[in-house]
Amino acid sequence: MTRRIPGLPWVAPALLVLAALSLYPLLYLIKVSLTGAHGFTFDHYIRLFHDRLFVVAAAQTLLYAAVALTLEFFLGLALALLVDSLARGRALIRVSLLAPMLLPPVVAAVIWRLIYNPEFGALNGLLRQLGFHTASLTWTSGRSTALLSVILVDVWEWTPFLFLLLTAGLQAIPAEPLEAARVDGASYWQTLRDVILPEMKPAIMLALLLRSMDLLRIFDQIFLLTQGGPGSATETVSLYIYRTAFRFSNFGYAAAMSFVGLVITMLAARGLMRLIRVS
Amino acid sequence: MKVFLKYAAALLAMALALAPIYWLITISLKREIDQFASPPLWFSFTPTLRHYVAIFRQAAFGRYFLNSIIVSTGSTLIALVLGLPAAYGLVRFPWPRDWAKGISFWILSNRMLPPIVTIIPMFLMLREVHLLNSLAGLILVDVGLNLPFVVWMMRGFVEELPREIEEAALLDGESRMGVLLRIVLPLVRPGLAATAVFCLIVAWNEFLFALILSQTESAMTLPVGIAAHVTQYEIQWGAMSAAGVIAMLPVLIFAAAAQRYFVRGLSLGALKG
Repeated sequence: MTRRIPGLPWVAPALLVLAALSLYPLLYLIKVSLTGAHGFTFDHYIRLFHDRLFVVAAAQTLLYAAVALTLEFFLGLALALLVDSLARGRALIRVSLLAPMLLPPVVAAVIWRLIYNPEFGALNGLLRQLGFHTASLTWTSGRSTALLSVILVDVWEWTPFLFLLLTAGLQAIPAEPLEAARVDGASYWQTLRDVILPEMKPAIMLALLLRSMDLLRIFDQIFLLTQGGPGSATETVSLYIYRTAFRFSNFGYAAAMSFVGLVITMLAARGLMRLIRVS
Repeated sequence: MKVFLKYAAALLAMALALAPIYWLITISLKREIDQFASPPLWFSFTPTLRHYVAIFRQAAFGRYFLNSIIVSTGSTLIALVLGLPAAYGLVRFPWPRDWAKGISFWILSNRMLPPIVTIIPMFLMLREVHLLNSLAGLILVDVGLNLPFVVWMMRGFVEELPREIEEAALLDGESRMGVLLRIVLPLVRPGLAATAVFCLIVAWNEFLFALILSQTESAMTLPVGIAAHVTQYEIQWGAMSAAGVIAMLPVLIFAAAAQRYFVRGLSLGALKG
């Protein structure tokens, strides 16, 4: 074997470790999801279809992902275009804009707790100084504002990621088509629409793919800011799985949910990848 | 005028990105009475280091800090030791058909697995072998998180090296391992260092695995220790913010060191949480 495939001994240790840390757990997960109190069962999967909480969590995950992705994408794109067009100070601005995504998620959560606190937080403090009444503004602890508040934290933390990837895509555009558009006397908006955005398409698709995969599994920020509450106002699939497994010790059902979630995410990713390859 | 507006917009974006971090730092340096002042003290207050002194006096905080250092350096080192030879093997050896590509993609696809999917079986498996609440178990899962990233990054860096030097050394009778250690390793050192930095950041920041696998105080990492503070003592802003600053500093320092490799590293490294 090693004579015909000389690279194998070099790769084998890494492959074995990864198989033990992801492939085997994945098979184990499927087994757990098919095991009930009396042996083999499909009950966990059947239960999924009747579980209203799961449907709510899934719908909120999608809503969260869609709103956050839209805001982060347009902000990231606008910032990438803006900073790229500046004559000076680009490096400094870029580094500052990237800072939020580097922080440990727990630190981001600490920061936003300090800001969102209804009584002593910086946000309501600022609004009071500007003359607003803030008694009803409870942000993460308000039923109607919790989801939006958590999304805004996500936008703060992860717009930098879109900014980074789109900046890279922007810088990879060859000079000739831009030059040609300038010679033709095209306006900025025409150049943007006909040259810049089409040239950036692979970078845009990649950025959307990577971010949407991360958004669909969102856990840290929500767990740390609201624990899914108040009520189930910010419940997401990952949080629901976490609680089912590690609060209620129902590993079989949690395993079934995460397997279904994984399959859906993988199918969505495949679809997006195919789109990228086509374009 | 248009240029002025552009700079104004860029400065506003910078302020929005940095102001929350600034606020964390000022809260950590304020006396309690100033932390809760209304209106908030944006710029002028009497700074104090008492919250930092207080958290370092707590035995538990030192423990969390040490645990985080052990877990992130341990998992990074193991991932590098396993990942560099794998990357070298994939790039520099003949593989049948498109095996090299297939293996690389399979390795990377492990990075796409949502943590919430792997954590359930990992928890059950580690419980069976009594590795729950141990740093070893946490190092293990973080290796799983970082290894695909190391292989993928180092593949690129090795590919960029000229083959000729290696081939000359092989003709001189150097072994493959010798080539890797004495020729490739020194040449890819900047790339390896950048990769290591990203691994350290990922492991240092990692929250979900640590939350579930280390629930005793002796095994908790810094993020989990801080999270316990956040959810239990809502109003202890001094300890919370000082711990937050301490947890954030190494990451910012590391990131400054690896700035040049941001795009390559973060696009893959950010696949977490």
